[in-house]
Amino acid sequence: MAEDHRLRELMREYQSGRFEAFDEIYASIAPAVRRYLLSQARDAAKADDLVQETFLQMHRARHTYDPTFPLMPWTMAIARHVWLMDRRTLSRRPWAPDDVTAMDLPVKAEAASFADRVEVRRALGKVAPARRNAVIQHHVLGFSFKEIAERAGIAETAAKLRSSRGMQQLRTLLKGQDK
Amino acid sequence: MTIAPAELRARLAADYQPVRPLRSPWARTLWIVPLAVVALFAASIAFNVRQDAPDLGWLGVWGLSIAQSVMGVLVVGAALRESIPGRDWSRGAIALWLAIPIVTVVGVTLASWEASPVFLGAGWWLVGGICFAGSAATALPVVAFASILAARAYPTRPAVAGALLGMGAGLMADAGWRIFCHFSEPAHVLSAHLAAVVMATMIGALVAVRLCGLRPSSVRRGGL
Repeated sequence: MAEDHRLRELMREYQSGRFEAFDEIYASIAPAVRRYLLSQARDAAKADDLVQETFLQMHRARHTYDPTFPLMPWTMAIARHVWLMDRRTLSRRPWAPDDVTAMDLPVKAEAASFADRVEVRRALGKVAPARRNAVIQHHVLGFSFKEIAERAGIAETAAKLRSSRGMQQLRTLLKGQDK
Repeated sequence: MTIAPAELRARLAADYQPVRPLRSPWARTLWIVPLAVVALFAASIAFNVRQDAPDLGWLGVWGLSIAQSVMGVLVVGAALRESIPGRDWSRGAIALWLAIPIVTVVGVTLASWEASPVFLGAGWWLVGGICFAGSAATALPVVAFASILAARAYPTRPAVAGALLGMGAGLMADAGWRIFCHFSEPAHVLSAHLAAVVMATMIGALVAVRLCGLRPSSVRRGGL
């Protein structure tokens, strides 16, 4: 009850101009939002992306929050909407390079220092699908982040983030294989 | 402690400014009332009051129409509430919000028919077409305005919100149109007038989906 009251007050402050309230709101509700999105997406990387999108949408829709009502139902409704929209976007996107083993991957010097092409393919297959798509489209197929963003229906920043996280995950996987 | 990612924080900070919370859905519904009044009087001012008005009496003509119009305003209010995240209606409530107006129109039709049975003989399609087009056209400005009000919020189910506001607009428009159209034959009223309400419902759903498609969304357009 006290927590609910505190969250309402924080959100009211966020609406009225105290940006710092966002950090406290995020710290309080992000774990619950992530748990919900993880239960829907069943993919940790995807859930992390969706959590950020949920908070971005909360920011954009912050004027619709009425502080006389609890914050969590409002937040969860937005999280559910974000999840459903993402699922709809995915269902409308025909191309997804799931079968990376058949692709001809030009291994860059950076990757060559860790492993050969077969290992890169194998590791790439283990990278989260959204990130793998971004990595392949940018590093293998040569699409710009703007093009990737347009194809995926996301922001350019999101495409960059997915690609960089994908590369990071790939590096970690390759290092693991190396040992 | 969970810390907000720096990129997300930077992005929010970039366009952060204080906002004024939206008024409650029912308070915002009051914005619709002037349009409801215009829709109520439009047909009777542009053409005439129905010829059987003396048989129906004030309650039969204006009373029933005002009741139907008030129902329309309430349905638009329900649509505006549906547009707020976390305040959306359950499936049962939505079914009720869609069924009650139809029952209202049928009830008003039967009450008018009972008090003053006027058959539509010749020109069935012509008169039906005029009533359908007139009612639907009168509903359009209300649909447009209510859609803007709904889109100002954050409808997570724009088709539902749009259908509700379209139905509300259709009810208001038909409430005015029945003050002009004296053909109380249920077959005419239910096929032309009720069809216009259904048409407004569909237009509302389409407009709301379209308008919400234009709303910035990180999932569809931007975001991390």
